[in-house]
Amino acid sequence: MSDPSAIEIHGVAKRFGRKQVLDDLNMIVPAGKTFAFLGRNGAGKTTAIRMLLGLLKPDRGTVRVLGMDPQEEPLKVRQRVGYLAEDQAMFGWMRVSEMISFMAPFYPTWDAAWAKDLANRFELPMRTRTRHLSKGQGVRLGLLLALAHRPKLVILDDPTLGLDPIMRKEFLRDVVTYLQGEQVTVFFSSHLLYEIDAVADSVAILDRGRIVRQAETEDLRNRVKRLIAPAEAQSVLRDLPGLLDFALADRQVTAVVEDIDAALPVARSSGASIEVIDLNLDEIFEAYVIGRRKEQPDAPAHLERVA
Amino acid sequence: MRQLIWKEWHEQRWKLGFGCVVLCAFALIGLRTRAVPDESIMVGTCALGVLLLPILTAAGLIPAERGEGTLRTLLALPVAPWKVLAAKAILGAMLCAGPILAAAIVSLLMARGREISNGATWEIYGRAVAVALFLFAWMLWSTARSPSEGRAAALCVGVLILWLLATRGLVAETHPARNGMAESHAPFMLWAICPFVLVFPPADFAPMEALALQAVTVAVLWLFALRALKFGAMEEQS
Repeated sequence: MSDPSAIEIHGVAKRFGRKQVLDDLNMIVPAGKTFAFLGRNGAGKTTAIRMLLGLLKPDRGTVRVLGMDPQEEPLKVRQRVGYLAEDQAMFGWMRVSEMISFMAPFYPTWDAAWAKDLANRFELPMRTRTRHLSKGQGVRLGLLLALAHRPKLVILDDPTLGLDPIMRKEFLRDVVTYLQGEQVTVFFSSHLLYEIDAVADSVAILDRGRIVRQAETEDLRNRVKRLIAPAEAQSVLRDLPGLLDFALADRQVTAVVEDIDAALPVARSSGASIEVIDLNLDEIFEAYVIGRRKEQPDAPAHLERVA
Repeated sequence: MRQLIWKEWHEQRWKLGFGCVVLCAFALIGLRTRAVPDESIMVGTCALGVLLLPILTAAGLIPAERGEGTLRTLLALPVAPWKVLAAKAILGAMLCAGPILAAAIVSLLMARGREISNGATWEIYGRAVAVALFLFAWMLWSTARSPSEGRAAALCVGVLILWLLATRGLVAETHPARNGMAESHAPFMLWAICPFVLVFPPADFAPMEALALQAVTVAVLWLFALRALKFGAMEEQS
């Protein structure tokens, strides 16, 4: 029976020197879902991912990946997980075919026919040395290496970094959609929100080393809204429950709230006309990591499990 | 493991060729011209190998990969870090010993029994191999966390200078003729774990004791390098 959670992280903290990179990180990734792990550059995403692979030891807390502890069984975890690192370096002198042959013996479940199929699908030049590959070809090769052993969990750490917009769209359309079809859990780290908006089932937003919100994408879109009201309503809107962002401009106030069901009745109590605006994931993310800091600079980050 | 050794071999084999050409040419030219005694030529060849090969080898193993970012790729594979280190150490040992042994063969072919016996020739080169290997171990340890090949090479030179200084250039002022490290003023443990003790062992120091001490030292260095490889490479914040 497969584990219902592909990844479980509880109370994880990590410090580098004087900088607390992760602080009480909690996260659960359901199996078979595409999970977007969002955070600004330097938020601690890569640190968390390295812990998932047993490459870094948490100072405290527990991590479980596919039911295993990456610190106890790092090799087993890495054999079962497909990992594409951010800006993954290849051995430049190796040809693409050599790179594939080099990697295969490390994975007991390596499927050579599948690797060949992927190489054809990705149009990889097998005789070319990896140092001569374009950025897009390099990412596709990395992806082939991450998928050829048919992992149940694929961890993609900002995989589209450095790709042009067309390539990013292709990557998401072809790869993530394919993985979703295969029931593979995809753990997708990114700071480019618009690109994961269409593919992520769930998201977790990481800020200052903590998860400030984890929810299903659809639920997040349904709950987090922007309210627009005349300036006279500002005193009421300022005190809305779950206020993430607030701005006053052009005799209008705008407020972003994290739960429209709780905030709307309060906003309407002002008697002013309230306009409710839908937000995309990019705007929601911005409200959490920029607006929330502005409105609640001392607020402790919290985990709200919705998914 | 076979894959790792194959990778290291492809990356490092030019150094084996380079080392063999340099040392064999040095021995060949010296022994053919006979400008100085054969023993001096052999010792000179060994000195060249001992000074050149460990630096060339150690700087190019871990630090070069760290600089290029491929160490991170390598350590993210489902392979134990000790195997990565072992593959590098095996290739490193080959690169340090190979050219010296090749020069030994050239020396035997050129000057077999001419001035010194075959046994003495093997002893000169054998000691040089041992020193080169132990120096390599020290340099591998000192460069395990080094971020680039250039800085690693500087560190290796530093290690070499440290040992030469610690043993007063191998020549004790009070006993210059003996080259006696036992009589030098270096603290006991320092000269005892110095790779050069294998070339110039003190009179009251059994070769096996020296070898055992070196082996223990290298084991400690190896553990450090493994730890540095396992965690040091990864401990960067995102």
